[in-house]
Amino acid sequence: MKFADVRSKRSTGDRPDTHPAEGLAASIRGLTVSLERDGARSEVLRGVDLDVGRGEIVGLVGESGSGKSVLALSMMGLLPQASRPRTHGSIEIAGVDVLNSAPSELRDLRRHELGVIFQDPMTSLNPTMRVGTQISEVSHDRETSLQLMTSVGIPDPELRFRVFPHELSGGLRQRVMTAIAVAGRPSLIIADEPTTALDVTVQAQVLELLADLRDTFGCSVVLITHDLAVAAQIADRIAVLYAGRVAELGPVAEMLRRPTHPYTVGLLSSRLSLETPRNLPLTTLKPETATPAERMLGCAYHSRCPLADEKCSREQPPLAPVALGADATLLHERSCWRSVAQVQALAHSRAPVDTVLRSESRQLSEAGESVRLDDVHVRFVLKSGARHREEVHALRGVDLTVGAGESLSIVGESGSGKSTLLRVVAGLIPPTSGAVHVGNKGAQMVFQDAGSSLTPWLTVGELLRERLRPLRLGSAEVQRRLDLALTTIGLPAGIANARPSELSGGQKQRVALARATVIPPSVLLCDEPTSALDASLAASVLNLIRELRSAFAMTVIFVTHDLSVARLMGDQIAVMTQGQIVEMGPATDVIERPEHPYTRSLLASVPTIEVTTS
Amino acid sequence: MLKFIVRRLGSSLVLILVLSAIIFLLQEITPGDPVRAYIGLNASPEAVAAARESLGLNSPLPLRYLHFLGRLLHGDLGVSFRTHRSVVSDLGDFLPATAELVTVAFVFALVLGILFAVSGALRWWGTSVLRGLLLVLATGPSFLLALGGIVLFYSRLGWLPGGDRGANASGPTGFLMIDSLLHGDVAQWATALQHLVLPALALAIAPAIAIGRILRASLETTMNADHVRTARAKGLSEGAVLGGHVVRNSIGPALSMAGLQLGFMFAGVVVVEQIFSWPGIGNYLARSIPVSDFPAIAAVTLVLGTIYIIANALVDLLQAAADPRLNL
Repeated sequence: MKFADVRSKRSTGDRPDTHPAEGLAASIRGLTVSLERDGARSEVLRGVDLDVGRGEIVGLVGESGSGKSVLALSMMGLLPQASRPRTHGSIEIAGVDVLNSAPSELRDLRRHELGVIFQDPMTSLNPTMRVGTQISEVSHDRETSLQLMTSVGIPDPELRFRVFPHELSGGLRQRVMTAIAVAGRPSLIIADEPTTALDVTVQAQVLELLADLRDTFGCSVVLITHDLAVAAQIADRIAVLYAGRVAELGPVAEMLRRPTHPYTVGLLSSRLSLETPRNLPLTTLKPETATPAERMLGCAYHSRCPLADEKCSREQPPLAPVALGADATLLHERSCWRSVAQVQALAHSRAPVDTVLRSESRQLSEAGESVRLDDVHVRFVLKSGARHREEVHALRGVDLTVGAGESLSIVGESGSGKSTLLRVVAGLIPPTSGAVHVGNKGAQMVFQDAGSSLTPWLTVGELLRERLRPLRLGSAEVQRRLDLALTTIGLPAGIANARPSELSGGQKQRVALARATVIPPSVLLCDEPTSALDASLAASVLNLIRELRSAFAMTVIFVTHDLSVARLMGDQIAVMTQGQIVEMGPATDVIERPEHPYTRSLLASVPTIEVTTS
Repeated sequence: MLKFIVRRLGSSLVLILVLSAIIFLLQEITPGDPVRAYIGLNASPEAVAAARESLGLNSPLPLRYLHFLGRLLHGDLGVSFRTHRSVVSDLGDFLPATAELVTVAFVFALVLGILFAVSGALRWWGTSVLRGLLLVLATGPSFLLALGGIVLFYSRLGWLPGGDRGANASGPTGFLMIDSLLHGDVAQWATALQHLVLPALALAIAPAIAIGRILRASLETTMNADHVRTARAKGLSEGAVLGGHVVRNSIGPALSMAGLQLGFMFAGVVVVEQIFSWPGIGNYLARSIPVSDFPAIAAVTLVLGTIYIIANALVDLLQAAADPRLNL
């Protein structure tokens, strides 16, 4: 196998021949889907061609809005009726014409040929039905269900059979979801972001499980993800989707070693890894400037593409095979007008696609520390229901000092206490015992879900004015501060009249940052502010936080589950687990010479793209 | 689960005690002399003093409350000043009629509420007509509905009787519709039903809308939930999706609304029973209030309050049974 070398964390084993010509699990031809949203109809998928071979794992990669989830729903025949879907083209799975079959035929198809794993196992499992029953709905008998639970790696299946989903950990829930997906012995499993809601260590296990299932049951897998590295872990082929079209499609090794579409190049270069230079601004893709109508005309990517010329904005490039030399056994296709040589020159230049200049002049104020925690403990009493009282020791004696102007990244998995620690510093949770000191200008916080942290009925301007009100400034001064804050954050002044619902995800997070820094605080607290954003947007928000930090000489405490982000955002990294800081030190030391075994296991689970040239 | 039941029932008991204390205190501070009400305005001062003593009205307050509780526990709710009969036997006469009326009204409210909730999903024109009609009717207060019902179905059309239960209960349950069947008297059963329809509908319409709205909203939310998408992805039929994955997850809010509405219905019977001359406790209460018949008022209040508390405790238990996340 030619591309075994990129599957760094898996043994390749004996896998079925994955050549698509040798029988197909699914065949999609010219698929166009349009959906109605708020009365406006838009084409979400535009002429998608995709084959999934028997026993093949196809990674479907794209950012939010690329249409990857709609493609998954189309394949299942489950497009939301409320959106009045209109479809053209064809989808054939196991001899069934998915787009033109009766509901009962589609039900049979789903029951016998398809297995599905959704993103969030907490909401995707029925909260009021026992786990075993949910599996048995598909497998139809208890014995088979127990066997399935064993084969997806659920310990004590007899015991777990009778529990409800909320009594399981996130990883086990996703295993239950997986057991349901394989219970009908499907020929095709569709996994829609199956690891996005999970911790890195669990993510690695679930990916491993998916690959094992393919090997054991011989089923095909469509793995949908926004992260190229996740797809690269187990996929045989990758399809990169952009604005409802396949931008590039090919074998994993080829795609990673020699990407032939500028968007793939952009995705690869804007991906944050443990090797991303720390002292340079992060590479971001150019933001979209074209209107949807303009994008429909030519190549959808043209307004962001560094190589685009006039033709790209006029004519839509077809998906065509790439001539890459005689050794390519699997078809490698792309839709781009520019030559492969040009694209590869772009890839090899390693030059940032679009660089935001940043002044690295950090004025470390002489005054010592900005945040100090002495032996902080936090205990919660969880009252779940009337009779059960459970005490959670969220922080167990945390000592922490962060100097003024310094930045600290706190890394840990869900339940490690990292968010609690942040809330204690913000003053949102009083410590059960211990002392908390924060610099005299106080703390401000930026949350993960910017959308829900902005009051929906206030305009951006009102949100910012609200923060300035205690200063009792004149209206001219308020306006000046407001304009300044928006300029600093890189948003046009006109956005002051917009409400949060009119903003994009990246803009919302920028507004949240503007609100936090319109009066510069002593310390800016960031709780996973980028984990809900696409890679390129995330990078631009991270750049912004770094800029704000040097502009205002603020202390930044950045909480994340992602070690590569932690390494980029913190001078120091603190690793937390079970309410304690188990390791803390300069970022490079922690990453390159981890001392605590927990840090090492976190590092080992980070999905990486290792391109080895053979 | 058992522990949860015990706790929930325990807290209901505490609530009932609090209710009894409040009733007792109200009785204490209300102007109007119960003794005068009992023995008449023209009685001599000596007779008043003697009656006061014999009614136990001279002991200190906490002691009188304990007495009050003690008598409650023995099923002694005192003697009505108005009817001069034991309040318990009065209640025995009037409560079954009210219980039957409210039970039938509650069933109507549930049926109409469920129809209201699913009318959008059912593709039959009649359901949306029904929904519109219910919405219009619910804008009127229950006494107006009752009067309108009498004018239309009794005076004009003559389809339904205009009041009364149609017969006297002859035991053993006090529910005419059950007793008549026990006695094999189908004609009486039909009469009883005819007499029940109008007052029960007048009571049921507003609660039906309240229950229906809540149920409709939670059904809609659940239908769009991720786990319902999972159920469809399993290839289950729409019936299995609804029965297995939707109903249980959306019943909770409707249950608590139904519990509240059951309580309101018992309060609403005072007006409706007056209009339909229904021989129930609403009517009894309406006649006791003008003459400050405290034992009667206190007893009715206590009974209604207790029913309300028990109904809500039952709702909590049902909700816990429906949603395992609540009691774990």
